[in-house]
Amino acid sequence: MNYQQMAIPPRSEHLWRYTPWPRIHPSSVADVPDADDVIFTLNGAHNLETIPHSKDSHDDIARAFLQSAGGSCNRLVITESSEPIHIDARASGHIAVGHLHLDVKASGIVIIHLSGEPEWVGIHLTGKVHPNTQLSFGFINELDSNTKFLRCEDWTVERDAELEHATLSIGGFRCKSDLRSTLNGTGSTIRQSVTVNAVGSRHDDEHVEIHHLHGHTNSDLVMNSACSGNSHFIGTGLLTIAEGANKSDASQVFRNLLLSEKARAEAIPELEVLADDVSAAHGAASAPVDLNQMHYLMSRGLNPDESKALIVNGFLLNAFSNISNKYLTEEMRTRLTVHLECELKR
Amino acid sequence: MGEGMVDEILRVENLHVQVEGTPILKGVNLTINRGEIHAVMGRNGAGKSTLANVVMGHPAYEITEGRIFYQGQPLEELEVFERARAGMFLSFQYPASIPGVQVGTFLKKSVASVREEPPKGRAFRKELTAAMEQLSMDKSFLSRYVNDGFSGGEKKRLEILQMLLLQPHLALLDETDSGLDIDALRIVAQGINEVAVNSGCLIITHYQRLLDLVKPDFVHAMIDGVIVKTGGPELALRLEDKGYEWLDVAA
Repeated sequence: MNYQQMAIPPRSEHLWRYTPWPRIHPSSVADVPDADDVIFTLNGAHNLETIPHSKDSHDDIARAFLQSAGGSCNRLVITESSEPIHIDARASGHIAVGHLHLDVKASGIVIIHLSGEPEWVGIHLTGKVHPNTQLSFGFINELDSNTKFLRCEDWTVERDAELEHATLSIGGFRCKSDLRSTLNGTGSTIRQSVTVNAVGSRHDDEHVEIHHLHGHTNSDLVMNSACSGNSHFIGTGLLTIAEGANKSDASQVFRNLLLSEKARAEAIPELEVLADDVSAAHGAASAPVDLNQMHYLMSRGLNPDESKALIVNGFLLNAFSNISNKYLTEEMRTRLTVHLECELKR
Repeated sequence: MGEGMVDEILRVENLHVQVEGTPILKGVNLTINRGEIHAVMGRNGAGKSTLANVVMGHPAYEITEGRIFYQGQPLEELEVFERARAGMFLSFQYPASIPGVQVGTFLKKSVASVREEPPKGRAFRKELTAAMEQLSMDKSFLSRYVNDGFSGGEKKRLEILQMLLLQPHLALLDETDSGLDIDALRIVAQGINEVAVNSGCLIITHYQRLLDLVKPDFVHAMIDGVIVKTGGPELALRLEDKGYEWLDVAA
């Protein structure tokens, strides 16, 4: 269905409850504004292959909107194991949209660094991890602090394949992510982590869906946010295990660190289990900084600000503890640490 | 300081402390000079850990009467981190775990905060490696998260490693021997003896076995928030042998 034929989703829908579509749309909801291309550059050297836009229709309004808005459409096919791939996604102009498809036929590491200062940025990323391959994927949102950001992802993980998926969300003013993965073959695995640093009046809404369609599939989601100032973080998860997908193992953990009285955080894991013989767990917790941790660090000479910064840094990094690829976690660690040190100096 | 002069590190005068309205310490007097090792023994709940924690400035403890002096200066006005920077160190009975913070990063920041002229780069790594070898700690410790998933013995070794690196003037050791096997106890005791030469040392313990390896100059028996008897190493042996009942009358 075309975007302009679609009804605006009501706030009663789980996905749109905290960030209704009109709040993340770049202008008036009836409009599909002209968008500039998000430029995807491979390892800082050359642009990615561009391909025609898909004619698939979408039931979801955000995906349909991104398709109607146009923007660049790119593809990266990994056919042999190689050095880690860094993709710079550079957004410019007033409104920028980019589409990227990753076709993973050999194991690899891909890290996307998104930056730019437009008023609005939209990214739709799709990916297929072919049987018996492994992808370690990182997404770093470093957009300008005044930018609105819509991100949609759709992943398919095939038989015996493994996707490690790490998000570091430290940019943008109002962000809405809808990240969906389907475990589409026996023995497939996804380990996903989302780390969000919400400062000032930043609003970050991260929705993660993981669908187990087959038996003996595994998923592990960890979402950590640190919220200060007047910021608002929303973490929602939808985990489904289809009928017959027995021996599946799934867990979701959401943790929020509240650093000011006015900061807010919602953590809403949701499970839908239709198989009989599975292991599924979820947990959520929101709390201020642990005073025992503060006291311990201060007793080692760190002043209160240094102690708090170290605890926040550690808390956010800990979301990546389920990611086994050391290169990926080290990249995320470095970027987060630099970001927090800059925050501390402001 | 001239020869024969005493270098006072800690002086506690008539210290009364309460936690959430419950009195714990009820008039403790104690002086520790440089080079002295003091041991405080007592039953569970006697107030031993409270003494160490209040000296280090834990916010949960309220001083209702009495004073604490560190190197002749009153301590009350100093924040916890300022006490650490002034050379005070507490080895915690239950050190906090800090997920996501690597031991190596933590040690580097701590040493940089406390030592006046912290070693940098290669010099720091060399010093760290030597201290870890002394404590039979594997290098993999450095990339683990602080106390996260550590066994009791690993936690205590990390505490002693910090003490070696921070080179305190006053070392407060709160049940550092608990959770250690015989070999680990010997290694930890060696670390304490090394630091104790140039500092004041207060060891809180239930057991004689640590005091076999770290010879105290003074042993204090604490009952119900008061030091009721002070003696030499023989007092520890007597407490181990006879328990605390014979001191209840004095209390």
